[in-house]
Amino acid sequence: MKDTAYCFDLDGTVTRDELLPVIASEVGLAEEIGFLTRLTIQGQIPFEMSFRLRCRLLSEIPVATVAKIVDQVPLDEEIAGFIRNDPERCFIITGNLDVWIEKIAAKLGCGVFSSTAERRADGRLGPLKNILRKSHAIRELRSKFDRLVCIGEGFNDMPMFEEADVRIAYGGVHPPAQALVEISDYIIGNGSALCRLLKTL
Amino acid sequence: MPLVKNAVIAAAGLGSRLGHGKPKCLVEVAGKPILEWQLRLLDDVEDIRIVVGYMEQDVVRLALSLRPDVVIVRNPAFRSTTTQQSYWLGGRYLKDPCVYMDGDIIFDPASFHAFLDRAGKVCPLIAIAASKTEQAVFAETIQDGNGDFKVSAFSRSNKTPWEWANIACLPAGMLQENGGDVFSRLAGFTPLNAQCVECFEFDTDADLVQAEKFGQKIRSQS
Repeated sequence: MKDTAYCFDLDGTVTRDELLPVIASEVGLAEEIGFLTRLTIQGQIPFEMSFRLRCRLLSEIPVATVAKIVDQVPLDEEIAGFIRNDPERCFIITGNLDVWIEKIAAKLGCGVFSSTAERRADGRLGPLKNILRKSHAIRELRSKFDRLVCIGEGFNDMPMFEEADVRIAYGGVHPPAQALVEISDYIIGNGSALCRLLKTL
Repeated sequence: MPLVKNAVIAAAGLGSRLGHGKPKCLVEVAGKPILEWQLRLLDDVEDIRIVVGYMEQDVVRLALSLRPDVVIVRNPAFRSTTTQQSYWLGGRYLKDPCVYMDGDIIFDPASFHAFLDRAGKVCPLIAIAASKTEQAVFAETIQDGNGDFKVSAFSRSNKTPWEWANIACLPAGMLQENGGDVFSRLAGFTPLNAQCVECFEFDTDADLVQAEKFGQKIRSQS
């Protein structure tokens, strides 16, 4: 067993923008994806259904095009540096698709838990293989680490926080979801403070 | 730069005795919330942790707007726990000495910085102030040949010229989880090196009137 694992949400935590709205805007689907995102945040449709629909909307866009857009989204360099310095104990836990975020994963060099999808022969998005449940990723890490420190900002991080030992609500890109704050131990406003805190834990 | 790198501000309490309907750290004295006065004093301290509870969203918003790199520590059980618990949560995991202070005190900057400087060399170090608040915890003191104070005991009833000023620099491990009053905990480590500070803590409206005059004086000096 190793001592501590640091589990980072990706969108709006390690990346300095939310990925899906950036992708949607680049391919001219901002309105449609935005509508679904709002319904999800308001609890009108479950996350999993919303994610399937959003992927469906983007399924005609070549995977390589989406991956290139994602690659241009800047990372918080201090947080990325923390991860690169300790890749054995840092993990990205994201609902995003493996085929879209593989370049970010390679840049960070750490373990990644993500949703997965097939890539069709014509380079477009194939069927979804698995939609990540963050609590499942946490349970897998629980068998390998004594203590789990989780960092996130959205509603979809709640299952991860509910099983963590130390919970950090991160507000470096936008204010963290209030429901998440209410089950957190720490609230942090930027990457520099986050890394300073992580080094003392 | 002060040698002390860590500070914890306990700002979780209700402030119910004051009855202004907001946490005491948000009460304005001489035109600025107490929290702003305190954060200005800690400009050179690297790692500041603010423990929040009552009306936490308001405190967090102000704290992050004044200093975006503070670490906010939540104490959801603030209604049923003591200041020592907030301090313990704030300083949890820290390995170096840390300054712990209540979020409802206004300090004279020169004496605060003298405390910080000495705390970098002498730890534990606690602060005492000339007795003046309505609900003071009195400090029994002894003075050595150099004129330096040590606190030998605390008391709510045995009036002395000095009161516990609710600020201390303590090494890791000295505070207790779910413990009682901070001064009761410190009493177990007496005699403790002490430094005099000029400050004003307020629990009542009468205190606040005096704190306002104190704040005006500091503002006119800065």
